[in-house]
Amino acid sequence: MKTAYSTGKTIREVSRDLQGQLGGIHLRAILFFASSTFDPDALGLEIGNAFDGAAVFGCTTAGEIVSGKMLKRSVVAMAFETEVIDRIKLCVIEDLHNKYAIDNAFATFEEYFGESMLDMDPGKYVGIILADGLSKVEEKLMDKIGDLTNVWFVGGSAGDDLQFKTTYVFADGNAYSNSAVLALIKPKVGFDIIKTQSFSSLGKTLRATKVDEFEREVIEFDGKPAIVAYADAIGSSVKDAPGHFMSQPVGLMVDDEPYVRSPQQVKDGGMVFYCNVKEGTELSVLQSTDIVEDTRKAIESRQREIGSIGGIINFHCILRTLELENKGQTEAYGKIFADIPTIGFSTYGEQCVGHMNQTSAMLVFKGAD
Amino acid sequence: MAGKIRQLVDVIIAKRAKGNPVVAQAVKAKLVLKGIRSDNYSEGTPDDPAVIKKLEILAKELGVTL
Repeated sequence: MKTAYSTGKTIREVSRDLQGQLGGIHLRAILFFASSTFDPDALGLEIGNAFDGAAVFGCTTAGEIVSGKMLKRSVVAMAFETEVIDRIKLCVIEDLHNKYAIDNAFATFEEYFGESMLDMDPGKYVGIILADGLSKVEEKLMDKIGDLTNVWFVGGSAGDDLQFKTTYVFADGNAYSNSAVLALIKPKVGFDIIKTQSFSSLGKTLRATKVDEFEREVIEFDGKPAIVAYADAIGSSVKDAPGHFMSQPVGLMVDDEPYVRSPQQVKDGGMVFYCNVKEGTELSVLQSTDIVEDTRKAIESRQREIGSIGGIINFHCILRTLELENKGQTEAYGKIFADIPTIGFSTYGEQCVGHMNQTSAMLVFKGAD
Repeated sequence: MAGKIRQLVDVIIAKRAKGNPVVAQAVKAKLVLKGIRSDNYSEGTPDDPAVIKKLEILAKELGVTL
């Protein structure tokens, strides 16, 4: 795997930069993450043409990550050689509200790979999902994917540099909004998933007793207006509680690991989240810990387990990026990946088994030992 | 009667995981995300028809025959 990035001002300049850095290899696929400051249609077409013959896919971001650096207003790319990926198939979902969207995409994959998605060995195949970051349908997509296959799909929700207007995914020369792109990959090298978040449980719980799932809103926790119950749990006044949202979100605990649900805003005494909460769900109140230290430990631990890491795709929550920026830690975070071919982006949500927030979901490819 | 919920949860996890412990853990997480926390149910848990019905629907969604 080889990575490249460009901070060029024009799309042509970006394309030349990437071609120059990624030339001379036998390409199977190109994955790229691009600032939303570029015209999406022109960018998709240019990058698609620049790497004609390879499967080219990507999305817009709220900030980019490349080996050793966290960037803004850039395009980062990872090239997968034919020695790394045996086969790859892309599938674009243009109607995210079609209840059969995943079934249809999976039928395409089954035809291409000649194997049922339900029977595919999750040790031999892996999926990537890049979804519109403003669609609010990622939970449904991930739920359906999990129903139909044991193959891991890891990914992120596309961003638009915190404009919250339109996000895009790219596939083979085209840009799509209100869409998702799925990639099913049969790698030639081993792979693994890292899901890391920097929180500990405060030992307090809140039960969602009234919700509006579609709007991702918890109206009541434990029979009280959500913000009142939340403020009680963290020992804050209702007025000051929103100031704690980033450092004290809530988590759906699976064993000791949280699937983080981040509050976004207060609405008429209820709390709107960045992902949905089912009615009846018990959530743990969390306290933030050190992102840089926790991430470093997660990477080092996986390196010890699998040996050399050949490449990482890091789907990194924008809220983590904002916290790193607030603490002046973006350089330290970037350096964790300095010696590992890495690309990633600041997402509007992360996907791994389900949809979550304030998490890094990483697809890790093994390197040569 | 008791224990039916635990039994259904175990069958769903076992049939989807097919002996793969990593997949078993992922299925357990999927169930939590779908609203079923498997650790909350033991062989002594009373048979709640609403939870049993929910598990039957989830099994169908997951392609598991109970």
